[in-house]
Amino acid sequence: MAILKDFQYHAPESVDEALDLLRRSGKPVLLAGGTFVLNTLKKAVAYPTDVIALRKIKALQGIADTGEGISIGAMTLLSDIASSPLIRERASVLARAAACVATTPLRHMGTIGGNVASRFFWVDLPAALVAVGAKVEWAAGSGKKVLDIEKFLALKGPDAKGILVRFLIAEKHPVGEYFRHTQAMEVDLPLAALAFAARKQADGLKDVRLVVNTALSPVVRLKSVESLFENTKTSRLKEKEAAAALRRDLEGGKLDDYRLQCLCGDMEALVERLKRAKT
Amino acid sequence: MKTVTLDINQKTCVLEVRDSELLIETLRDRLGLLGTKYSCLEGDCGACTVLLDGNNVLSCLILTLEAEGRKITTIEGMSPGGELHPVQQAFIDAGAVQCGFCTPGMVLASKALLDKNSHPDKEDIVRALDGNLCRCTGYVRIVEAVTAAAKAMEKTS
Ligand SMILES: Cc1cc2nc3c(=O)[nH]c(=O)nc-3n(C[C@H](O)[C@H](O)[C@H](O)COP(=O)(O)OP(=O)(O)OC[C@H]3O[C@@H](n4cnc5c(N)ncnc54)[C@H](O)[C@@H]3O)c2cc1C
Ligand code: FES
Ligand code: FES
Repeated sequence: MAILKDFQYHAPESVDEALDLLRRSGKPVLLAGGTFVLNTLKKAVAYPTDVIALRKIKALQGIADTGEGISIGAMTLLSDIASSPLIRERASVLARAAACVATTPLRHMGTIGGNVASRFFWVDLPAALVAVGAKVEWAAGSGKKVLDIEKFLALKGPDAKGILVRFLIAEKHPVGEYFRHTQAMEVDLPLAALAFAARKQADGLKDVRLVVNTALSPVVRLKSVESLFENTKTSRLKEKEAAAALRRDLEGGKLDDYRLQCLCGDMEALVERLKRAKT
Repeated sequence: MKTVTLDINQKTCVLEVRDSELLIETLRDRLGLLGTKYSCLEGDCGACTVLLDGNNVLSCLILTLEAEGRKITTIEGMSPGGELHPVQQAFIDAGAVQCGFCTPGMVLASKALLDKNSHPDKEDIVRALDGNLCRCTGYVRIVEAVTAAAKAMEKTS
């Protein structure tokens, strides 16, 4: 017996063609690496009439230095993000987070676009993308626009229907760390994660961004910790002070003790690492 | 239904497939390549592993139509002339096979690693095989086999 029920498969070659198919099809679904989509279809009650594959659209592919920053096509594989020298150098937290997603074969199949567009709270990349101040190029019925990643993540209902074309990272964040907790094994889904990105100068840390993924709600920026770190020399940072600021930042969020303890531990480990690092 | 041209184990196959057909179904049920195993069908176990352009991927999560234009290698393609690949030989020599259900996936994932990294350490091997579950061996002999295969491949290259 066939594993999946029937649908019409399309492989458009341009964003406009894909948008047109999205508009014209009864119940369409976009297909990137398929690691979410095809799993879901095996159990789906609301089945799509049309599957629109994005693999032939050139605008969605590749990692490039645009002169103004890095451009990452939405169809870029997680394994290519994890190993890209450009991303490691300028947005190392993103490379680190991509290397933590799922398992080796799933990273050879899953894409950055599918990760973010899935809009599940628990996925790994949104926290890292917020940490590096990424923007997204978004094509929808209303036209093409560039949005801050946080704005994109907040889109809902019909506004959230469209095609992620690419991610743009303008600022350089060579210092980056990604901490992640799972229930049992390293390859399990994240329960909580902490993403950190910054630049380091002689007079202190600059453009500091700290973002938490609790897997329960949208990612949260740690504004108190960020202001504690900004313009501060790493030798002056204090583990307990940083953990206390993190608790303040997460106070209203009704976070369970286990996750909170994990994240406080990460914060202390981060400060320790920053103090130890020579460059 | 659509017509698709696939490059499987260096042979060209032209097939009529359902739009929703998964690569694992095409490989096993149409082409009789039974080394690719049905198991969890959710991306957890790695028993359905094949190589796509040299990378280990899961054929239970790929539409056959998406594999057009890519080089597909199944376990049957590892020893085209009947001679075992050094990874396969190393699995036998190290006693890394018990029931054998995970072995095709393990061997292909190991080949994908060694083709990119000819001197992997234990951590590299464990990480490269993190998508392949084995219920029998406890993994120790599998890691030993991949280490031995790397050495054997170095000698022959
Ligand atoms: C066993 C298993 C373990 C996993 N573990 C993790 C994990 O640890 N961490 C983690 O983050 N994820 C995990 N995942 C989820 C998933 O593999 C990844 O998030 C992956 O990046 C999804 O990408 P994809 O290309 O396969 O997406 P797809 O499945 O192709 O698409 C996902 C969703 O995004 C939409 N979409 C895709 N591309 C676009 C686009 N360009 N524009 C608009 N919409 C688009 C699709 O319509 C769909 O709704 C796991 C999955 C499995 C099966
Ligand atoms: S059958 Fe494909 S991963 Fe288990
Ligand atoms: S040898 Fe039996 S599952 Fe691995």
